[in-house]
Amino acid sequence: MVKTMTQLMTEDGIRCDGRRLDELRNISIKVGVLKNADGSAYIEFGKNKILAGVFGPRDVHPKHMANPDSGILRCRYHMSPFSVTERKNPAPSRREIEISKVIKEALQPAVILKDYPRTVIDVFIEVLQADGGSRCAALDAAAVALADAGIPMRDLVSACAAGKVADRIVLDVNNEEDQEGQADMPVALMPNMGKITLLQLDGMLKPEEFKTCMQTALVGCKRVYEIQRKALMEKYFQNGEQ
Amino acid sequence: MNSQILDQLKKDKILELLKTGKRIDGRSLDEQRPLVIETGVIPKANGSARVKLGNTEIITGVKIQPDKPFPDLGDKGILICTAEILPLADPNAEPGPPNEEVIELARVVDRGIRETEMIDLHKLVLIENKSVIGMFIDSSVIDSGGNLFDACSYASVAGILSCTVPKWEIKDEAPVLVEGVTSKPPIKTLPVSVTMARIGDYIIVDPTKDEESCMDARITITSNTDGNICAVQKGGSDGFTAEQLLQCSETALAVGRKIRKQFEQLM
Amino acid sequence: MMDVKRRYVIPGDVIATGPLRPEQNVYQDGDRMISTCVGISEIFENSVKVIPLTGGYMPKTNDLVIGKVIGTSPLSWEFDINSCFVGFLPAQDVFGRDYSPTKDELRQRLDIGDLVATRIANFDRSRDPLLTVQDRDLGKIEAGELVEISPSKVPRLIGKRGSMIQTIEMATKAIITIGQNGWIVISCDDSEGLLKAVEAVKMIDALAHTPNLTERVKSMLGVPDGENNDTIND
Repeated sequence: MVKTMTQLMTEDGIRCDGRRLDELRNISIKVGVLKNADGSAYIEFGKNKILAGVFGPRDVHPKHMANPDSGILRCRYHMSPFSVTERKNPAPSRREIEISKVIKEALQPAVILKDYPRTVIDVFIEVLQADGGSRCAALDAAAVALADAGIPMRDLVSACAAGKVADRIVLDVNNEEDQEGQADMPVALMPNMGKITLLQLDGMLKPEEFKTCMQTALVGCKRVYEIQRKALMEKYFQNGEQ
Repeated sequence: MNSQILDQLKKDKILELLKTGKRIDGRSLDEQRPLVIETGVIPKANGSARVKLGNTEIITGVKIQPDKPFPDLGDKGILICTAEILPLADPNAEPGPPNEEVIELARVVDRGIRETEMIDLHKLVLIENKSVIGMFIDSSVIDSGGNLFDACSYASVAGILSCTVPKWEIKDEAPVLVEGVTSKPPIKTLPVSVTMARIGDYIIVDPTKDEESCMDARITITSNTDGNICAVQKGGSDGFTAEQLLQCSETALAVGRKIRKQFEQLM
Repeated sequence: MMDVKRRYVIPGDVIATGPLRPEQNVYQDGDRMISTCVGISEIFENSVKVIPLTGGYMPKTNDLVIGKVIGTSPLSWEFDINSCFVGFLPAQDVFGRDYSPTKDELRQRLDIGDLVATRIANFDRSRDPLLTVQDRDLGKIEAGELVEISPSKVPRLIGKRGSMIQTIEMATKAIITIGQNGWIVISCDDSEGLLKAVEAVKMIDALAHTPNLTERVKSMLGVPDGENNDTIND
């Protein structure tokens, strides 16, 4: 299919979806949306629609994966066949397997597993509709679902991307910008610890752009954190705010 | 943790109540749980639906794209229904290749829609034997609370009803998308699947997860708008008597009429 | 009453800084006391803790728990105790010291699916929790209905010196067995009373963190105010 080149940005820095350079897409998070899961969250992040469900701590199958000294964390990021323009084969792709791994490693520093030897915590993420930045949105939902499940955590994990589009650094890259822009940098942050737990980059940045891009993404993470926090507060404390 | 084992006290209560014609959630034996249908939930898909049947929740997306026909069916478009139980839907579901239960689920849902001839597949042909329109109806169970057969079937039907079919023109023997032109899918009839469980001598419609763990046998019957029975699947480790099955077929038609009214509102 | 500062917290929230002792659900990062769960933080004179509002059950020795038999081996029963760890009840605990796997049939005493009131005899995280039924009020539960609540809300269901549970039992004539693991069995000869008692337990689970809970439960049960006056104000 031939795609016409869209104009990604106007002269005065308005992006193809009408946002300013430092503006996030609309984000909404709902906590506790699944009955069977121990913890769950649903996020809409731009056009991304993503569910995250957490089970555990629970028995490990297969048994040989169990660690006698600590619990383990497993993560599956999966896209529904109808989540993208061309129907996607439901079998996990190499891309999904890699994203599952980086999400797991972004969450791992936050979860405290030492009290749960020989058990596993499973994080299942289903992308119902995909847009740019789905791994960040998935991480944001997963972190909230872990807190909802009552898994002990040192901090939440908040993720957001920044990138380079039409030679300028922008916050929260959307699908068109990701396809046709110059760089995309997803970042995840433990906001209270100040620890960056995910950093990837596709594209080309000068050293000073790299710095600005990362700082821009971190500002985004902190804004996402406020939305995550509000969602948790809404579920647990709405019947009697102090 | 094995949550599939139902505690004995609840099991006793389910059996005790059935003797008085009641069920643990207050329904009568031939009553379905409330069915809530929402369509258009995945704007990127050509059609979509989110269906809640009691505590069971399904999301279905329909993708429509040009495809090559099956070699022996060059005069028909392609229709494929799939179903999967997402690992986040159930503590006992596992990621990885589908097991026999999931494959049965997907095939029963597909058979119901295919055998009732819900869609006129002849109208989905672009060039005979060369190019046709393919409809992929993918259902994902996101919360499992029993009777996935009916819930997936309803979500698939609702997803199809909510579809807009893009238009393709043939240029140099290849399909080219015509922007901005869509049509409704060629619907011929409305299939309704009705699943019943036998517990002892009692037949109950739309079993919950707890009821399924007490059931002896299960039957799924799909009927079309004209009241014909088009697809049947018996499951479970015990059987039915012929009288019981005739009773089931009548119940399936009666319950089916009510559900079909809900589908008609989507058209 | 001790001076306690309470606040709603989520994981990562800094509850206090300074030379304090981190107690349950608090993680120490330098001199910062950080909550590890969604809950209500309490700062005491020299310690900090968080009462969780969600999360599974972590077994503790001497806890009374309700378990569901999920399997047997030649020497023991396996129990689902609503925890990440499976509980073990040795056959000898039921049959006595001269238990013989060839002569005695475990499933004739406790079968799969049975609910049993048990006590945790021993648990140290290196091995799965060991259960016992050797005590008054322990053993197979013959009648009633299982209600599952969040284990973190069990103390609220019991109330100060058992006030909350007494209120419910008196108003409904139900008998309520509370497992620290959040599994509650309610039995009642009167079906109306059973429904009320189940509703009250579910209400406490949903509204555990809200003020005036005792009054709300009482009004739902139709108990006039002022009765059972030793209840605390929330």
